[in-house]
Amino acid sequence: MSGPNVATLAWRNLWRNRRRTLLTLGSIVFGVFLAVVFTAMQDRNWKDMIDLAARLGGGHVSLQHPEYLDTPTLTRTVVRGEEIEAALDGEGRRIARAVDRIVGPTMLATAGENFSGAFIAFDPEAEDETTLSILEALDEGSALEPGDSDGVILGHRLASNLGMELGDKVVYTLTDRNGEIVSGLARLRGTLRTNAPTVDGGFCLLPIGTVRDLLGYGEDEATMVAVFLEDQRRSGGVAGRLDRALGETVAALPWNTSQPQLAAFIALKVGGAVVMEILIAVLVAAGIFNTMFVSVMERLREFGIMLAIGWSPRRLFRLIMMESAWLAILGLTGAFLITLGPYVYLSSTGLDLTAVYGGTVEVAGVGLDPVLKVGIFPRNAVLIGLFAVVATLASGIYPAWRAGRVQPVDTIKVV
Amino acid sequence: MGEGPVISLRDVSKVYRQGSVDIHALRDLSMDVEAGEFTVICGPSGSGKTTMLNLIGALDAATSGSIVLEGRELGGLNKKELSELRRDRIGFVFQAYNLMPVLTAYENAEMVLWVQGVDGPTRRERVMGLLEQVGLKGLEDRRPSELSGGQQQRVAIARAIASNPAVVLADEPTANVDSETAETLLGLMEELNREQGVTFLFSTHDPQVMERARRVVRLVDGNVASDERR
Repeated sequence: MSGPNVATLAWRNLWRNRRRTLLTLGSIVFGVFLAVVFTAMQDRNWKDMIDLAARLGGGHVSLQHPEYLDTPTLTRTVVRGEEIEAALDGEGRRIARAVDRIVGPTMLATAGENFSGAFIAFDPEAEDETTLSILEALDEGSALEPGDSDGVILGHRLASNLGMELGDKVVYTLTDRNGEIVSGLARLRGTLRTNAPTVDGGFCLLPIGTVRDLLGYGEDEATMVAVFLEDQRRSGGVAGRLDRALGETVAALPWNTSQPQLAAFIALKVGGAVVMEILIAVLVAAGIFNTMFVSVMERLREFGIMLAIGWSPRRLFRLIMMESAWLAILGLTGAFLITLGPYVYLSSTGLDLTAVYGGTVEVAGVGLDPVLKVGIFPRNAVLIGLFAVVATLASGIYPAWRAGRVQPVDTIKVV
Repeated sequence: MGEGPVISLRDVSKVYRQGSVDIHALRDLSMDVEAGEFTVICGPSGSGKTTMLNLIGALDAATSGSIVLEGRELGGLNKKELSELRRDRIGFVFQAYNLMPVLTAYENAEMVLWVQGVDGPTRRERVMGLLEQVGLKGLEDRRPSELSGGQQQRVAIARAIASNPAVVLADEPTANVDSETAETLLGLMEELNREQGVTFLFSTHDPQVMERARRVVRLVDGNVASDERR
């Protein structure tokens, strides 16, 4: 037989009204479950979007001429020499891959037609769909093979406008670093179908070696080095370190600087998600507060007795806060157990929304996975847990304080 | 404990204000209670019994006058000191038992000692002895809902005397039990008074209690109308 202590007493008090406690625990569990799933969907969605943007654009971090961002011309280049290699090596395994690209405007002409467009010149040996996502939109023909020096891939509408079939020749014209007009001849190897008008009607892919020669670039020269990271959340840190290491000749820009529109879009969505999560938290906290407050108000007489026989207000405060703490512990444990199964399923198998979307989903020519998957950042999971604990404890503060303010003479009758 | 009365009230008045009306619950009441007394406070409704026990129990403050418990003037103590005084020197037995429903008989009886910070083995020895003394041996693990009214009041008595208080204030302790149980409870409290010198101050209308008291103080209109020692 052992005597009571605050934790034991709080635990037993919690189960005096089993139904109410279970309802409160249910609201905590449901709230945490919602927050985790919702956040996990957002985290995964943003991660996918950012990775996608990196694959469409200049990587998670882009190394480029300091003035290229404001005036992206073919005269503003970087040379991937020892300095850049050393800086990249310094980041170790944080960097998954770094590839050279030349990006700029071009004019394409066949015997009968000519159209303007944009090009990306890349190294087919160094890149595939994992770094250049637009390759996933290959419609006809084949991708550029390593060593293919005169191939070109065009948007299918552009090819059609130029009146081209696979294997046909096209002349592309560029402006070199000296301002001179230079032209190259290429044969159509394949076409892209993205349903994005700017890509389908005005975009082409060229081999970087040929374009370098044409523009008079050095062997390691390009308009950018696209750096891909293992984890996009490190973009800012990696970019900052590279920027400091490379001095004033090369700018290292994280994706949110080189693609401010996407960054603004994601920031807007993050803001919306935060508002939603705050709403969930407030609703859950209000439920807990209501439970604790009613529970305290029902026991005012009991608290009066306890104060009369020598309990201090501080000890009463601790008792009620301990009841809140038990709710938090049980709620989080329950939430973990309830959330684990669905989370594992959604993160590994996911929900196939093909039927909902009515087919494949494409953004800027890149097929998005119609299977909804989740993946919460560990930091956010910890934050949700902490928030649940803090909200539960905070909900108990006023009732606990109120309990200690009871005047025994008002709540009990001595004679 | 020094010489002199355990409780001393001098010219104690208590005025409650209800709206614009002043209600004089106690009017310049003076009275002493000596250690080891078995005293009953009686009187008609509104005579001031409740107020008097509230003041002696340090649950309320007098409007004027002096209340001294074991030489300590209650009016000079702050909230914390009053709380400690109630914990250490005053025992309460309530009409409705007022046990903690989630605690066992043992734990209820132990509560004051626990709040005092008495170590476990000492608590256990003291509480087990008390429960045996009040006739609850073998029922230590039962919760109040599993005990009869008389048994619950015995637990309340054990709780009240666990810390060896200077005085036990008992609120109509027999009001909620049948006469046979009341007789048993009174016998128990008499025994504690006689053998351990526990000072009891009752408030009651029960003739059974008044018959057993060795001192009966009758209040009328907030003052002592008679004080009979037997």
